[in-house]
Amino acid sequence: MAVVLPAVVEELLSEMAAAVQESARIPDEYLLSLKFLFGSSATQALDLVDRQSITLISSPSGRRVYQVLGSSSKTYTCLASCHYCSCPAFAFSVLRKSDSILCKHLLAVYLSQVMRTCQQLSVSDKQLTDILLMEKKQEA
Amino acid sequence: MAETLRRVLTRGGAAWSGEENMPAAGPPLLLLGTPGSGKTALLFAAALEAAGEGQGPVLFLTRRPLQSMPRGTGTTLDPMRLQIRFQYPPSTRELFRLLCSAHEAPGPAPSLLLLDGLEEYLAEDPEPQEAAYLIALLLDTAAHFSHRLGPGRDCGLMVALQTQEEAGSGDVLHLALLQRYFPAQCWLQPDAPGPGEHGLRACLEPGGLGPRTEWWVTFRSDGEMMIAPWPTQAGDPSSGKGSSSGGQP
Repeated sequence: MAVVLPAVVEELLSEMAAAVQESARIPDEYLLSLKFLFGSSATQALDLVDRQSITLISSPSGRRVYQVLGSSSKTYTCLASCHYCSCPAFAFSVLRKSDSILCKHLLAVYLSQVMRTCQQLSVSDKQLTDILLMEKKQEA
Repeated sequence: MAETLRRVLTRGGAAWSGEENMPAAGPPLLLLGTPGSGKTALLFAAALEAAGEGQGPVLFLTRRPLQSMPRGTGTTLDPMRLQIRFQYPPSTRELFRLLCSAHEAPGPAPSLLLLDGLEEYLAEDPEPQEAAYLIALLLDTAAHFSHRLGPGRDCGLMVALQTQEEAGSGDVLHLALLQRYFPAQCWLQPDAPGPGEHGLRACLEPGGLGPRTEWWVTFRSDGEMMIAPWPTQAGDPSSGKGSSSGGQP
């Protein structure tokens, strides 16, 4: 993977994946770690997972993109391969200020990967192209 | 991609050992330099290197067709016979379209994706969010190609960005963005190890995977690129005989 998460985050996520496999829920100690690392984004991300707000969209080509239904009913597009989210918080906190590691939507995506729970949607290759293109603002 | 570039730069100065099987491309690499600092030539050399390795086709994206094929580092490989595919997206919108539909393209997945002139595409869309999405798509496209190549194989990514002598505030923002997404960087600047010499200094930062390494790049009158390790002692560089590519350890 090109852009890597900080080692501590990677480690936490993989430990969680192993723990969840055994007990099908996230043990409290990991919830604490999440809160420690991500603050309020952790709770919001877990909430998004609980509400089944994450959809993995894939096409026969194997290319995938995530869409997360945010709290204001806006849908955001996340590219998991390189840690990108189309939400304004990502643009501001993560890209500009560089003090946050992930926005709540990306965190929700990684949590849903760990817990293996998210909606799945299969679309055609052409439809996937359109979904990816939609993020580009229409030129006036 | 950093590893492929390192091989290009190292190979230019030493005999090719050829012992690596299935060499990895390395992390995505950003090639930076002022106008005329040899970015396109180096990008093309990397394309030749990767295509010559036979891992798969190479996709070279640039705004305008190259006026002339840059010469490589004295290899006998003929670019026309290697699998280097050129595409010329004329606008940022077209580049977006190309990247978003990359999974629809038929044929084998490229083993290397190269983009020359990122600054021109970014200039059309000064908004950081758009710039971030373009860069993210480049990475995502390379990741998709890696996935299609199968386990154990990767599609490398190398992007050239022209910088100005004096950075404007927009440039600084873009640079921070790019450094976030490209762990490996190679800076090119006109420099020479000693007085009376000329050429370029290539400084490769592999992004935590190894030490910073520097090379001295010069171009002969016929356009051929000569590469040698940058002399570590500034005091007495082995003075610039033209055959500086002849086997420096």
